[in-house]
Amino acid sequence: MNQRKIRVVVSKVGLDGHDRGAKVVASLLQKAGMEVVYLGMYQTVEGIVNAAVAEDADVIGVSYLSGEHLVFTPQIVAEMKKEGLDDVLFLVGGSFPPEDIPVMKEMGVHQVFRGGSLGEDIVRYIRENVRTKMQREEGS
Amino acid sequence: MLEDAEARPALEQANKEDWDDFLKTYYEKPQSTKTWSGFDLKEIYTPDDRKVSDYHKEVGDAGKFPFTRGIHRNMFRGRYWTRREVVGIGSPSDTHERAACCFKQGAMGMNTIADVTYEMGLDPDHPRARDEIGLTGVNVSSLKDMETLVGDIPLDKVSWSLITASTVAAATMAQYVAVAQNKGYDIARLRGSIQNDPIHFRYCGFKPACPLDLSVKLGSDVMEYCSRNMPKWYYTTVNMYDLREQGITAPQEIAFGFGIAMCYIDELIRRGLDIDEFAPRFTFYVSCHIDFFEEIAKIRAARRMWARLLKDKYGARDPRSMQFRFAVHTAGCSLLPQQPLNNLVRISFEALAAVLGGVQSLHCCSYDEPMCLPTEKGHIQALRTQQIIAYETGVTSVADPLGGSYFVESLTDKVEEEALMIMSEVDKLGGMEEAIRSEWLDRKFDEEAVKRQAEVDGGEKLLVGVNIFTSEPETETPLGVQRVSRLSTRQQIADCIKLKKTRDHSKLIDAIKRLREDAEENRNTIPAMIEATRAFATTAEMMGTIREAYGYSYDPMNVIESPFTFLSGVKKGKAL
Repeated sequence: MNQRKIRVVVSKVGLDGHDRGAKVVASLLQKAGMEVVYLGMYQTVEGIVNAAVAEDADVIGVSYLSGEHLVFTPQIVAEMKKEGLDDVLFLVGGSFPPEDIPVMKEMGVHQVFRGGSLGEDIVRYIRENVRTKMQREEGS
Repeated sequence: MLEDAEARPALEQANKEDWDDFLKTYYEKPQSTKTWSGFDLKEIYTPDDRKVSDYHKEVGDAGKFPFTRGIHRNMFRGRYWTRREVVGIGSPSDTHERAACCFKQGAMGMNTIADVTYEMGLDPDHPRARDEIGLTGVNVSSLKDMETLVGDIPLDKVSWSLITASTVAAATMAQYVAVAQNKGYDIARLRGSIQNDPIHFRYCGFKPACPLDLSVKLGSDVMEYCSRNMPKWYYTTVNMYDLREQGITAPQEIAFGFGIAMCYIDELIRRGLDIDEFAPRFTFYVSCHIDFFEEIAKIRAARRMWARLLKDKYGARDPRSMQFRFAVHTAGCSLLPQQPLNNLVRISFEALAAVLGGVQSLHCCSYDEPMCLPTEKGHIQALRTQQIIAYETGVTSVADPLGGSYFVESLTDKVEEEALMIMSEVDKLGGMEEAIRSEWLDRKFDEEAVKRQAEVDGGEKLLVGVNIFTSEPETETPLGVQRVSRLSTRQQIADCIKLKKTRDHSKLIDAIKRLREDAEENRNTIPAMIEATRAFATTAEMMGTIREAYGYSYDPMNVIESPFTFLSGVKKGKAL
């Protein structure tokens, strides 16, 4: 089977400049053999979803560290729906209270990795849950 | 657990293996004998580990050059460190309220922190700012906001630290001075500091809001203005702390921080200031991470290095110029959301290291920072941590109590040696400005951050609750969650729009014209900004006007245009 690499768009959103976590995750996913498109800081919701469409991404990973997670998460989910990214995994990382994890999952986030998460757990979660484009096409 | 009948058979079955593991654990030894930054340690240090031929030259008593042991002869017997908390939440009035609460609980100084929108010089009505006002600090867009933030707190009695790190610090300084003067204070009597370290902000913020030339120019404007008008004010706090939070080592923290500090010093000297005229008000913001002895050694090494740098390289003659004055912020990046109450313990050790290192001013993180902005309970607990160290532990009686320890002295030497090596590497690259331009520094930060995660992933660094002694994830934050009031932020936007409609436009335009001229003529911009603030010019309007004079876009986000179309006829500043 000619399976292509898992493709992940990693990004920050809005004005928050804490990008260490996003960069580190981007680097460790790449080392795990995934193809990573790192968008960096100051991205808009539309910009992230457009990049995922253009790059044919299997996963979107967004990092929040400034309490903006409940503002942008529903916007990203809505934009993903609008663009038909129904089977793209949406993962969130960063700092937020545990009380907000079920809230974000309810909004449509598939999994959440806070500070102190181990790289192997993130990689394993993606491998076990991602549906590559090929699988998606086979499934449809 | 033993009461639970269902658990019992499972326990018995697992018993043998469990107790074998238990025995193994009983004989467990520390797996690493390296420091956090990677120095190999010996099992014991003896007089042979330090060949100090001349104690007074190499170490010296506290209060004496090279100040290894502290900048004051009697350290805390003269005065405790300033116990601070960093406050910034929602609107200026929300922030004022929390600050007042901290004072009531025994805070001796106040740090108010700018939010991301303010740091980038965006007004609340900016389309990209609206969703994020007040989330990470306070947005101040006008004289009115600064008046509300300050309230009735006596500015000549309270040491106020304005945490605006970016190029916007120049506007913050002008806003603070304008409010103080309006309230009738003699600004020569104002006590406090402004972070004003726009170069470092490129690494934890938005680069286009802090172009390197403008960062050096505006940062130095603040330093020059304060040196000449505000003798009790500390006009910069070079932020080694934020650099460390990127994942770098203790020696890198010193070397990179000093490199940035030298960019400002060199500029002030180019402007014709004498080193002894401004260096005594130079301060630093230092991290205290979790490796107890290494952090103490780092502080001691930094003090000695700064003294020698100022004396030997810059020819300082006044001993006050050679004294490394610093505030510590305990390491936010060492805190974890897993088993969050453990953070109280981490913070205590880090704060103790700061005190044993001879700190001038201390902010303890709140235990809840990996989850949310500090709650009121979190803030108070952080203050109590400092108060217990100050009033109960007895560590304040003696200056530099670890001085003379074979180990600590040797580690101090090691950190210094490594930091000096990195500084000479930067020198070879052509100095710090060049290391920044060529993105050498960016690459260093990225490399080190990846290494730190690999150390945790590989089990080389152990974190309780993460890769050892883990437990079921918490579903609740123990002392509650701090939220930012949406009502407050909506009010901020409304107030800003209203202010822009109701102010006296002819006064505003005159003030903006003068600011533009001063920026174009490369004069110090602070006096014109104070005047513009009085005419109700906003943060974004002042910063945008200066940016345009330097050939940058009015809006760092490139979303909005300058409202001052009359300036389009004015000659453009230098091209990019």
